[in-house]
Amino acid sequence: MNQTSPPPLIEARSVDLGYGKKRILSGISFTIHSGDFIGIVGPNGSGKTTLLRAILGILRPLAGEIILGGGSGERQHVGYVPQRDTIDQIMPFTVYDVVMMGRFGKLGPVRLPSEEDGRKVREALKHVDIENLTGMAFKELSGGQKQRALIARALASEPKILILDEPTNGMDLASRSAIMELIKRLHSVDGLTVILVSHLLSDVATYVQRIILVEQGLFLMGAVDDILTEDNLSKLYNVPVSVGEFLGNKVILAGPRHV
Amino acid sequence: MSDLEIVRTIVTEFPFALFGSMVAGVLCAYLGVYVVSKRVVFVGATLTQVAVTGIAFSHLPLIGVEPLFGSMVFTLAATILFAQLLRSKVIPRDSVLGASYVVAIALRILMIQKSPAAEVSEIEAILKGDILFVTANQFYLLLGVFLVILILHLVFFKAFIFVSFDAETASTQGFRAQWWELFFYLTVGVAVSVATRIVGDVFVFGFLVIPAVTAILIARNVRNVFLLSVLFGAIPPILGLYLAFKLDFPAGPTTVAAAFLLLLASWIAGKFR
Repeated sequence: MNQTSPPPLIEARSVDLGYGKKRILSGISFTIHSGDFIGIVGPNGSGKTTLLRAILGILRPLAGEIILGGGSGERQHVGYVPQRDTIDQIMPFTVYDVVMMGRFGKLGPVRLPSEEDGRKVREALKHVDIENLTGMAFKELSGGQKQRALIARALASEPKILILDEPTNGMDLASRSAIMELIKRLHSVDGLTVILVSHLLSDVATYVQRIILVEQGLFLMGAVDDILTEDNLSKLYNVPVSVGEFLGNKVILAGPRHV
Repeated sequence: MSDLEIVRTIVTEFPFALFGSMVAGVLCAYLGVYVVSKRVVFVGATLTQVAVTGIAFSHLPLIGVEPLFGSMVFTLAATILFAQLLRSKVIPRDSVLGASYVVAIALRILMIQKSPAAEVSEIEAILKGDILFVTANQFYLLLGVFLVILILHLVFFKAFIFVSFDAETASTQGFRAQWWELFFYLTVGVAVSVATRIVGDVFVFGFLVIPAVTAILIARNVRNVFLLSVLFGAIPPILGLYLAFKLDFPAGPTTVAAAFLLLLASWIAGKFR
C-alpha cells in the first residue's frame, strides 16, 4: 500500500524576493513541515525580514511561488508576532484589547467579538502567564511582558504556525531566556510549528531543530550542526567565528579560537 | 454687549456657525485620533492646503466650478497619491508631504493672482478662518458627511483600529492593510475638503491634531480617547465663538486657540495627577 506523506505547510519553489526591481534573495527553494522548529538567521539587512514577509504572504515573490497550507493558502492559521517596536505605542490599548486583535481575522471587518472570543483571549493570556496584566496599558509593559502579550495575541488566532520576528531583541538575559523557554514550550508541548527570525545566533542554535541562513547571494537550510559551522558563519559575517558548546548550549563567538 | 446677549446673539443669529463648527470639530477630532496615533499629522496639514488650492482652482476665470467640487477633487486626488507615495521605501514620507504642502501653497498663490477680486475675498475668508457665515445648506452638507463617515468608522472600527495599531499583523490576518489605509485616507480627504470649505484650513488642521492629543494625554483606554477627543472637538467652538464676539477676534483662529487652552489645561492637570 502506498503511503503519501502530508503536504508541507509552506513550500517555496525557485523564489526571488525583493522590492521593486531590487532582488534581495534569488532562486530559493525550501519546505517547512508540520511540527518543524525553524530559525532564520543572518546579519542585519541580509533579507531575513523579507523572507519572513514572503512566508507570511504579505510580500509577493518577484519570481517563483510560495505555497501555503498545502495549496489551501489558509493564512488564518498563521500566528504572527512582529517586532515590538514596529507597533503603535501612542494609544492606551490594554493587554486585553491587543490580544483580542488576534480574533479579528476570524471575525472579519464587521462582526463584533462574542463571549467565546473573550474566553479564547483569556485562555491565551493564561497560556503565556500574563492573565494578571489583562487590564494594564500595553505601552506601559516591560519588553518581556509586551512580547508575551504579542505571543498571546498570535495564540488567540488559534494558529498552526507561529512566526516570530526578533522576539528577544533588546531584552535582558533573564527575559530572553524566559521568552525562548515559552516558545520552546509552545513547540514541544502544544505542537505548534515555529519559525523564528533572530540575529542572536546562540539563542536560535540552542532551541531550533533546523536553520535557514540567509545573506545576499547565500541561502542555506539544514540541521543546526550542519549549517552553523565556523566556515559558514565566517563567510557570512566576514569575520572569524568560533562555534563551541557549553553546558549543552551552542556558543557562537566572533573572533578566532583561543585554545 | 453683556455675556448673556453674546450667547443669545450666537444662538439666534448664527446657529449654523455654532452647530456647523461643532460638527466640524467633532468630525476632525474623531479622525484626528487616527491621524495622531498613526503619526501622520502632516498629512492633515497638507490636505487642508490642497483643499484650499482646489477652492482657488475652482475660482479661475476659465474653470468656474462649485468651490466644494474643486476642493474635493483636489483633496481626493492628493489622498490617493499619498496612499501610494507614503508606502514608498525610496522617498521619505516627510519629503513627500513637505513637497506637496509647499507646492499646494505656491499653486494657490498663482491661482489667486489670476482670479477675479470678488472671488479672492472668499479664498481669503477661508484662510482667515471666518466661521460666522456658515449657511444652512453648508451645515446640512457637513452634517450628512459627518454621519456617513461616522457610520463607516463605527461599522469598520475593528479594521481601522487593527491596521492603525499594527498594519503588518493585520495583513497576516486577512485585512489588506493598504486598502484599509486608502479607505481611511479617503474618509479624511472627504472630511477635510468639505470642512475646509466651510470652516477654514486653520480650524480643520487644528482640530485634526489638538483634541486627539488632549484626549491621549488623559484617557486611560482607547474608548475614552475617542470619547474625550470628540468632546474636546465639540467644546472649543462654543468657547471660541463666545470669545470671538467678546474680544472681536476672527472666530476660526479663536476656536483653535480655545482648543489649545484645553490641551494646556490637560497637560498641566496631568503633571499634578
